[in-house]
Amino acid sequence: MLIVIPELDEEQVENTVGRFKTVIQRTGGEVGGVNNWGRRKLAYQIDHHADGFYYVMEFTVGERTLLELKRILRVSDDILRHIIVKLPPSYAHQSLPEEAFEEEAVEAAG
Amino acid sequence: MGKRRTSPSRRERPVKSKPCVFHKENIAYVDYKDYNMLRKFISDRGKIRARRVTGLCPQHQREAAVAIKRAREMALLPYVVGR
Repeated sequence: MLIVIPELDEEQVENTVGRFKTVIQRTGGEVGGVNNWGRRKLAYQIDHHADGFYYVMEFTVGERTLLELKRILRVSDDILRHIIVKLPPSYAHQSLPEEAFEEEAVEAAG
Repeated sequence: MGKRRTSPSRRERPVKSKPCVFHKENIAYVDYKDYNMLRKFISDRGKIRARRVTGLCPQHQREAAVAIKRAREMALLPYVVGR
């Protein structure tokens, strides 16, 4: 899951997210699903931002790419926050209504 | 006072036999993204509720706590409410 800064417009946000997708795919990773939560209010301010674009991505990557990905995420100014979570192997890709997805899906929430 | 456990004299409470909600609903993975569900396990101050209150089993209490912390990190849940 990543949070993109609210200053960008939809298109730029898509580009940013697309950049990570290509990084993953270039190295043989697989992007299972990208889930756009849209612009959401943050529970607390981060660097004086009150809201941000939430994206949840489900993917598989190799170890090397993971490190690279983490590095890029950290240095990107567009990314407010990110979290990469390893999902339990039993957790089959399943999309439930509304939101779900990370590196794999789960039950929804408003 | 010390023998609270052994003396059934004072206010006998029924043995808690309620199963943990995650078991009941057969949820295999406590997801940090499901913040509305996790909201049930935090106080109105934003603190994680004790197992005594939540009624979760040890495993799920632990998993819920981790999930709440992750949700906090991603600003889905607040660290503190009202300040």
